Amino acid sequence: MKNMDFEKLSNEGTETLPSEERRRFLRFGLSVTGVFLGGSVLSLTSARDALGISDILPDAKKFPYKPHYSMVIIQNRCVDCERCMEACTKTNDVPSYGYRTKILDQKRDLGPSLQEQVFMPVLCNHCNRPPCVRVCPTTATYKDKTNGIVMMDYKRCIGCKTCMAACPYNARYFKETNRAIDKCNFCFDTRLSKGEKLTACAAACPAGVRNFGDLSDTESNVYKLVHRPDKVVWVLRPETGALPNVFYTTD
Amino acid sequence: MKGRNIPFGKFFSLLVLAGVLILAVGKPSVADEGYDEDTYGPAKPIVWTKPVKAVVFQHKIHTMGAGLECNSCHDGIFQMEAGNAESKDDFNMQSLYKGNYCGACHDGSMAFASNTRCTSCHIGVQGYNKMMGVTAKHGEGEEGHGGGH
Repeated sequence: MKNMDFEKLSNEGTETLPSEERRRFLRFGLSVTGVFLGGSVLSLTSARDALGISDILPDAKKFPYKPHYSMVIIQNRCVDCERCMEACTKTNDVPSYGYRTKILDQKRDLGPSLQEQVFMPVLCNHCNRPPCVRVCPTTATYKDKTNGIVMMDYKRCIGCKTCMAACPYNARYFKETNRAIDKCNFCFDTRLSKGEKLTACAAACPAGVRNFGDLSDTESNVYKLVHRPDKVVWVLRPETGALPNVFYTTD
Repeated sequence: MKGRNIPFGKFFSLLVLAGVLILAVGKPSVADEGYDEDTYGPAKPIVWTKPVKAVVFQHKIHTMGAGLECNSCHDGIFQMEAGNAESKDDFNMQSLYKGNYCGACHDGSMAFASNTRCTSCHIGVQGYNKMMGVTAKHGEGEEGHGGGH
């Protein structure tokens, strides 16, 4: 894009600005002017509209996509058997050096001498405001207008890896065989488009950790799982304002 | 006399120091030797890889720690023969909930229930690899954005 063309771009506005960016802007303002900036200057938009940390779910019945594919991970059920990873690798031809999903492990302190092992499945979050799509120079990665899946058009990908740097979830890798970035697409080409209801990982999970479905369907299991009043639901890195569609909870 | 006293003092203090060292270093090994496999069962942890990879069991925690006898489990709940439970088709969580295998005690009253605290026993593929000293495959555990050239 030429410099002149930037003027023709429509203004993205401040409504979608992540809270991280706001803070950076504020720090910048403080360091330049050395003047305390009051709350009114800080609030580029009203707090209500500043989505991110407070509203991880879209308003009830106002989901942007139909079906609005989503995964709800019941984290404390995961025992790292890695059948999901095996199924994913087999279904989507993932090479040994790559991954579309991973299991992270960490130790959590329960007391001075007691630790708990925590396994956390991670994959592409199919964000409503995907940072990877925003930075792609060739629109090789895009948000599907119908189902909201963050897709790859391998033929358009030039392998610049800008999307890899932009992704807050490290969900992308460079696949050498097709010289393009590869990532999870909720098994759209391999399963969903062929009539299957579940992704390979969700179907392979023996413990019901990975729950997949249409979040806009109030009768779906994923909708019910994120609307249990007695359970906490969280997303990873909410401060980026990417509005992910992979939710975490416990049972 | 003085000339002889000093070396003797040195020798004596060295002797004391050596004694202290032996005691200090020797202590943990004495404790380890205190673990009697005939009383408490094999010291080496048992790792099951079926039906899922992987679950760990330690005799030490159950016998020395919880005070169970050999015949608390053998041969009523578990056969002593290695790999016996693993070869059974019903060696799974559903069976445990019915009170079989570990579920005989892990029922929520005697010991924590089988459907809670999963990762106390389930160490996963990564836990298995760590325990067996298997190095992760290329691509695994790779952080950052530099991988996959």
